[in-house]
Amino acid sequence: MEGVAMKLPSFKSLAPNAISIGHRSFSRVRRSSSLSVFSAASSSATVATNSESVSLGHRVRKDFRILHQEVNGSKLVYLDSAATSQKPSVVLEALQNYYEFYNSNVHRGIHYLSAKATDEFELARKKVARFINASDSKEIVFTRNATEAINLVAYSWGLLNLKPGDEVILTVAEHHSCIVPWQLVSEKTGAVLKYVMLNEDEVPDVDKLREMLSPKTKLVAVHHVSNVLASCLPIEEIVVCAHNVGAKVLVDACQSVPHMVVDVQKLNADFLVASSHKMCGPTGIGFLYGRSDLLQSMPPFLGGGEMISDVFLDHSTYAEPPSRFEAGTPAIGEAIALGAAIDYLSEIGMPKIHEYEVELGKYLYEKLSSLPDVRIYGPRPSESVHRGALCSFNVEGLHPTDLATFLDQQHGVAIRSGHHCAQPLHRYLGVNASARASLYFYNTKEDVDSFVVALADTVSFFNSFK
Amino acid sequence: MNTSSSFKVFASPPLIFSSRPPKSASQNPRFSYQLPRSCPKSIRCMRDSVNLRSSPNAPSALSFATVEAPLGTKTSDKLRILVSEFRSLTEPIDRVKRLLNYAADLAPLDDTARVSANRVTGCTTQVWLEIKMDEFGRMRFKADSDSEISKGFCSCLIWILDGAKPEEVMGLRSEDLSEMNVGVHGKEQSRVNTWQNVLMSMQKRTMSLVDADVAHRGGERPPHHHKHDLLFKYVNGSYMESSKVHHDYSISLLPLYYDFTI
Repeated sequence: MEGVAMKLPSFKSLAPNAISIGHRSFSRVRRSSSLSVFSAASSSATVATNSESVSLGHRVRKDFRILHQEVNGSKLVYLDSAATSQKPSVVLEALQNYYEFYNSNVHRGIHYLSAKATDEFELARKKVARFINASDSKEIVFTRNATEAINLVAYSWGLLNLKPGDEVILTVAEHHSCIVPWQLVSEKTGAVLKYVMLNEDEVPDVDKLREMLSPKTKLVAVHHVSNVLASCLPIEEIVVCAHNVGAKVLVDACQSVPHMVVDVQKLNADFLVASSHKMCGPTGIGFLYGRSDLLQSMPPFLGGGEMISDVFLDHSTYAEPPSRFEAGTPAIGEAIALGAAIDYLSEIGMPKIHEYEVELGKYLYEKLSSLPDVRIYGPRPSESVHRGALCSFNVEGLHPTDLATFLDQQHGVAIRSGHHCAQPLHRYLGVNASARASLYFYNTKEDVDSFVVALADTVSFFNSFK
Repeated sequence: MNTSSSFKVFASPPLIFSSRPPKSASQNPRFSYQLPRSCPKSIRCMRDSVNLRSSPNAPSALSFATVEAPLGTKTSDKLRILVSEFRSLTEPIDRVKRLLNYAADLAPLDDTARVSANRVTGCTTQVWLEIKMDEFGRMRFKADSDSEISKGFCSCLIWILDGAKPEEVMGLRSEDLSEMNVGVHGKEQSRVNTWQNVLMSMQKRTMSLVDADVAHRGGERPPHHHKHDLLFKYVNGSYMESSKVHHDYSISLLPLYYDFTI
């Protein structure tokens, strides 16, 4: 069974139900079969090089034309998917198709085009709901991106519910989009922000988080997978503890929804946000998942058309959620293209994508840590700790910007350098910036090899100037 | 004394084409190149500002030797040399190497100068810039960075501008430096365009020092030049508070359209 299980396409034979979204048996299947597979496959040579099967990365590459180009005279090696993902041609076609054949404003018109656009737009909403196993598509609010979704919660739910002395718990590893809105709102309301620090594994300390919870806590806003540390937080556990003290939980799922099965009912989160552009969808669209009863209780965020019921000169009445929070003409084509991205990902199967990335991510970690003077941030991968498929790192004596510049210029390797919108985290780690290589299911073992060779070349180039 | 000190930054003069006149740049700031077209207005302004500074303590005429020369000789020609040098390096890796060589030549910055007031904001790397006006009214710069490439940029900028007059500092545009852009493809201002951020910081702080200097001497401000209000609306990645204070001096920069006919 194990030998067969190494081939990714045969995963279906192990768990025929695993492809369906949010199926609960997925976690049981993984624990019994995949872990033993990976302990056998811990040496890099076995990563998808079986001549009888082609790895997922190789199979899907034809769908991503953008990956087949040269930059600065070298083949492009795109390792910045945590910043934004590339889009398969079906997504681009869906967008083009919308504009070419049935572009029309939604929810308003009587005519054929408008009805079709509305149907497709609402179908996209249903697809998002199904993708994260929300109980009702009315719990999905389309926003511009995850940042706007968090701001929506902050200004709509936060301003209404946070009183002076109330506490909001965040971690020091949050993305700026999950720090700054809370700072703005706490200034207005008098609420207090508290931060969970990292433990010795360089993961936010969940025990400390539990200790911080009190009846004063009104909200816990945390990431699911960290865009720097690649660590994964036990959201289910955190939600249970938070609900025990009467606090709500907002999950920033930007780095998890694109890469693994996320089941909001299983997590039992109150709010969850994600961006389309990190999951093979276009930019300009993202979503907020909010529990029905919560959304019902929230006042509007932005005002305008669509979110109203009746408008008078001196007051207006508002629509039901989700429309209440979708003022103005939405990014219709983009939402529909997001639906197409979800279809594409679902067809491959999120469990399969996740398995592939765990393996490739581990390979990246091992190869990177084999280079001297490289310090990778976040937890070490192990049987119990699965990292996200990214590595933020620093090389001793070499600024990450210089590193990234040289990698791009001489080797066509695209990585990110800077603080990755996590300045407090970098300050905590004692560095100003880091480099980050992040993978997605269209990357291959060869991409990782090219990156590591290029990195070694870069380091020796800069060392020659010392 | 003053002119030679501005070359202290470079241990060796930059490489130049063999077709260049034999006199190397480091020995003589004045070159026998075709001088930029300077309009009389600028010289008049220059003289005005010279008059502003005239006082019983004014240094001897020798230190104003370059004043008599047409405006922008020193800076524009140094810029020309550097640009042509980088242009001659067709392989990007050679440009990186050259920048790293210049980085090694950069004069060290005191630890005391690495304070947040000296940070050039808006860069992805850390850059510290120390700026003074010397007793002759020329701008003196020192810089450092935690990135070698940024250090190389700073080194080049300082070679061009250290010891220059405020007007020359203000006259340099980031487009003039785009030839030296190593590895940064975009032309737009962004956090990775160290050039633009450091240059803007140099110019913004030069203006404040000139302002303070003029105020200190109680001198009369020449007519206001609007051009640089636009320049400073978006500085270093953050919006400057719109200057309610009028910068009333004319930084006569119009003639400094450097002509790179090489």
